[in-house]
Amino acid sequence: MMAFRELSSLEKSLGLKKPNKYSTQGDKKVPVLHSNNGPALVGLVTIATHLVQEAKRPKLLGGSAEHKALVQQWLEYRLTKVDGCLKDDIKTILKDLNSYLEDKVYLAGNQFTLADTLMYYGIHHIIVDLAIQEKEKHMNVTRWFDQVQHYTGVRHHLPPVVVLRNRVYTSGHH
Amino acid sequence: MALNLTINSSNPPLGALLAAEHVKGSVNLSVDEGKDNKLRVSESVQFSDVNSITRYLARVTPTLSLYGSNMLEQTEVDHWLEFSARRVCGQSGLATALEELDKALVLRTFLVGHSLTLADLCVWAALKGSYEWQSIQKQAGAFSHVARWFSFLGSQVPFTAVGNKYANSKA
Repeated sequence: MMAFRELSSLEKSLGLKKPNKYSTQGDKKVPVLHSNNGPALVGLVTIATHLVQEAKRPKLLGGSAEHKALVQQWLEYRLTKVDGCLKDDIKTILKDLNSYLEDKVYLAGNQFTLADTLMYYGIHHIIVDLAIQEKEKHMNVTRWFDQVQHYTGVRHHLPPVVVLRNRVYTSGHH
Repeated sequence: MALNLTINSSNPPLGALLAAEHVKGSVNLSVDEGKDNKLRVSESVQFSDVNSITRYLARVTPTLSLYGSNMLEQTEVDHWLEFSARRVCGQSGLATALEELDKALVLRTFLVGHSLTLADLCVWAALKGSYEWQSIQKQAGAFSHVARWFSFLGSQVPFTAVGNKYANSKA
């Protein structure tokens, strides 16, 4: 199950020692976490947020109020736009992200957050299939992706994607 | 081993101060203000050139990987140190230097590898001290990759500390 592997990688990247047990709910296989103290938690982002708090890394959810809202916005984007996207949607997602990331290092600005980790996990299957020329065309996405996949402890279950450090198609024949 | 860095307070060496700020948790280093830039390593050994100072500080703190993590990266760092001293601090031709820098940063978050190195420190410091860059920065969309990299680094803690304390006295 994709969501399980994702949550278990997230646990490792957060340095949580004890792996949790997850089950799924419904046709869409929404992950469920049965916690020891409290009600069961349902949904990828809900559980991921809980894990971040458990690891005492609140900064991964954003610092200021605006920063927190930005993180939530991209977590929502991941669930609603990226998950289960069709072939036609991929172009729009890449185009949107590419123009958004032109002046940003991470999704919520200058600090690495949970949004980067989950977007990276969610978009990996798209990026892994891109040809070099397409990676260059969406250079801001490619740069962000490469930075996140090299961010300490994030990659885990996913294969690395090759990113050239300099452009090959420099003359703009896209 | 106690190191002592004396800086020229009327024209502070931002690159050396940034390097000092990064390594201060790993080595015993004091910073004083004075007339000349000078890193005193022992009774008989001292460095006065900014690039020599930053190189030395990076080499005595190998765990920080400020000099890259392999020989190729080390050579890249050397390239950018030279670039910062000759092309950015040089009197003319900043525009061509910026073009080159912009091209290099298209697919990179940091200049060398995937984390901070001396290359970032020294090129950032050289740009920070450049009047020409300050006016180019005001033009929207100019050298967008350099602009993103420059403000990203400038927002990180050691950079804000050094920038606030020393950049004004230089400008």
